[in-house]
Order: sequence, then structure tokens, then C-alpha cells
Amino acid sequence: MKPGHFFVALLVLAWLVWDTGADPVRLTRGLPWIVDFVRRMMPPDLSVLPAALVGALKTVEIALLGTAVAAVLALPLGFLSARNVAPGAVFYPARAVLNFFRSVDTLVYALVFVAAVGLGPFPGVLAVVAYTTTSLAKLYGEAVEGVDPGPVDAITATGATRLQVLRFGVIPQVLPLFLSYVLYRLETNIRAATVLGFVGAGGIGFYLQTYLRMIDYRAASTVLLVTVAMVMVVDAISSRLRDRLV
Amino acid sequence: MIEVAGLRVVLPPSTVALHGIDLSIGRGEFVVVLGRSGAGKTTFLRCLNRLVEPTAGTIRVAGRAVTGAGAAAVREVRRQIGMVFQQFNLVRRASAIDNVLAGRLGYVPPVPSVFGSFPPADRELARACLDQVGLGHLAQRRADTLSGGEQQRVAIARALAQRPAVILADEPTASLDPALTGSIMDILKAINVDQGLTLVVSQHQLETALAYATRIVGFRQGRVAFDGPPASVTPTVVRAIYGESPDA
Repeated sequence: MKPGHFFVALLVLAWLVWDTGADPVRLTRGLPWIVDFVRRMMPPDLSVLPAALVGALKTVEIALLGTAVAAVLALPLGFLSARNVAPGAVFYPARAVLNFFRSVDTLVYALVFVAAVGLGPFPGVLAVVAYTTTSLAKLYGEAVEGVDPGPVDAITATGATRLQVLRFGVIPQVLPLFLSYVLYRLETNIRAATVLGFVGAGGIGFYLQTYLRMIDYRAASTVLLVTVAMVMVVDAISSRLRDRLV
Repeated sequence: MIEVAGLRVVLPPSTVALHGIDLSIGRGEFVVVLGRSGAGKTTFLRCLNRLVEPTAGTIRVAGRAVTGAGAAAVREVRRQIGMVFQQFNLVRRASAIDNVLAGRLGYVPPVPSVFGSFPPADRELARACLDQVGLGHLAQRRADTLSGGEQQRVAIARALAQRPAVILADEPTASLDPALTGSIMDILKAINVDQGLTLVVSQHQLETALAYATRIVGFRQGRVAFDGPPASVTPTVVRAIYGESPDA
């Protein structure tokens, strides 16, 4: 790095600190409040455990259904957005559409779908589908672009049709990658789905928000612990499955 | 069996890979194409089944037009032409037998094949082709667990499963241990002699070429620099093909 670049980077950082009001002194002054907050969460109120578990199950359901639907919907989009499969006339618009829809987060989609279909887990599922379809399509497309052209040539040379070339030359190469991306998305969707309840789109976030609003911090801490456990369990299962795919 | 006239290939943006090739190859010939890398050997072979699109000229293989043919006609002529590649080009995660079965794709009903359903007769044929290259006992092994020599034999079996009239082999031994060169070339020679198939094999090893070919075609800078029997390949001919240093 040239000294000039370093100086510019320092200036930008300084401006960021100033403009966001980032102040270590304010943080230090706030620390007792955080301690107080944590103390008021102790001990967790286990009487709300059944409710929290029901909420967690809903969250897992939202993420599972949303990811599964998106994994399928993303397939055609993924191939259409791969430079080496789709013609240019299809590829460029497909990429543009994907980038547009991917720039909006799941939570924003949830707001839209709650307004459209009402409260509950269903708008949550729709939100997960909307975001995950486009993000998976992009990952699928990149996987398709990365295939070894050798087997594709070999299958083409047998006199196979385009569909057969895709099925026998491309799919076997990308399928393990696709599955691994789907599992990875499932992990991030579980996390994303925990806050969907904040905007009325179902799941464990609804309970967290409710108890925080009621200033029942001991109940809220139970919900938080269940959330952490749920995320860890899903991550563990998913990463074990992903290891097997390689 | 193979008729090439005025074959010219310009690769984008403006590299002339082949400058008007005229060549006629008869049934049952074992042609070895010699030349330095970049002389146009690979481009020539890949034009014969339209993996590379010729810029100008005409090609006929087994009595069918390759150039100017529509998509369906190209697929039909491709069935007649088995191809073996330097890098084997197997589907790595598929079993040996499934790789060989891919050679039947041009013949079987397309829609069922996409769902993995092949007629029993095609499965038996694939099995027989794998036996023919001596790998029947490895049918269920995943391709990427096989050695290089075994993978190339599976690739030859895949080409045989097409029941082709012609087999093109693009540097089939260049990625292999030199000790395996003979075994692969022996299999190709046996196919040529026993089944009467026409073979066009590119090689950069002169000794191998002379030992197996019935006819040598030397390429230099996109042109045919020599065409004749191995016996007439003199040091002068070698220089005409390779330039000054024959081992390059």
C-alpha cells in the first residue's frame, strides 16, 4: 500500500467515526446499563420454555420450507444466468434481475408480504423464498460457469441433445455444489428467520419481541437461549451434511 | 470415409488455425496426425465432429455432410464419430459403466435417458465395450478413483459404445505415464485391425506415430506439410513438420 492510499483510508475512517457518532466514552458510560440488562435477564424464566420451543419450531419450519422452494425455483434461473449455458440475450437480463432482487434483504420482503397476505408464518416463508431464490440462482449460475468443459465436450461428441449434455455433462459436476449452497443458505435462513417475527412474519422472533415489549427480560432470555440452541443444532447438522458432499 | 476440402478455421479474434486443408481418408486407415503444439492438430480433429465450427470448407464423414448440417443432422453424424481426449473427459463422479453408457446417448430415447433409464440392449452393449478394454471388473468404480490409464480405457469404451465408423483420438497418451503409451495405442490399433474402424489419432511422439500408423499426416502452422506412409518419413520430412529440432 502506498502512503497516499493509507492516508486517504485514515481520513475516510475518521470521517466515518465522526459521522456515525462512534464514541468510546459513551460506550463506557453505557456499560453499567448493559450489565443491568443482563442481570435483569437472570435467571431465565423457564415457564415460557414451551412457548419458546413452539416458536423455534415455527422458525425452523419457515426456513426449511422457504429454502426448499427456493432451491427448486432457483434452478432454471441459475442456468439462465450462466454465461456458458445461456445465450447473451438471456444471460444479461437474467443477471440484472437477480442482482436487483438480491439487493433487498429477507426482512424487507417480510414487511411487503405481511402487508400482502397478513400476519403469521406464511409471509415469512414467502420472504425467505423471495430472497433465497435469487441468491441461490446467482450461486448456481457461478457453479455452472465453473464446470470443466472437458466432459461437456465428450458428451456433446456422442451426438447427445442439449438437454442430455446438460444432464450428463453439467449436472453431475454442479449437483454437489448446488446441495452445499442450499445447506449453507438454510443455515443463514434460520438466522434470518429468527427476526422475521419482529415484523409479524411468524416464528420465535415474535416471542422475543413480545417479552421485550412487556419488559419481561427473564422470559426474553429463555427465548434467546432457545434461539442460540436452535441455530447451533441446525448449523451442526447442516455442516455435517455438507462435509459428506465433497 | 472422411472427405475434407478447403477447410479453413479462423479462431476469434483473428488467429488462422487452419489454412485450407484438403484431405481424404479411406475406410480402415490408421492415420496419425503429427505436428508441434499449435500446428492445428486439435482444431482439425475437433472440426471433424463440429466441436469447432469451421470458417470455410466442407467435411463429409461416413457419407454424411458435417458442414452445413442442421443441429439434428450434426447429432446424427456425431454418433458415427467416437472421440477420445487427452484429458479423458470422463464424468468424474459417475461410475465407469455409466460413463460408457453415455456413448449411447445419441441412440437412446432422449427423455427417458434424462431420468437415467436406458434400454437393456444399450446397457449390455456398454458392458461389452467395457469388457473389450479389459475393465469389466471395474464397472461400478467411480471414474475419479481409476488410474489415468484406466480412465483413458473407459473413455475408449465410451467411444466404442457409439458403434462408430470413425474414432478420433486427440493426443490420447499425452497425459499418461510414458510406459502406458503402448497399451493405449495397442487398444486403438486392435480396434482398427479387428473391427475395421477408421482411426485418426494425433500424437506428438514421432516413434509412437511411426510404429502404429498406416499413414502419417504432418501439420505445420495450419497446413499439411507431409502426407504419406510411415516408411517415407525421412529426416527431411521430420524437419519439414517440426522445423529444426524434432524433439520440440
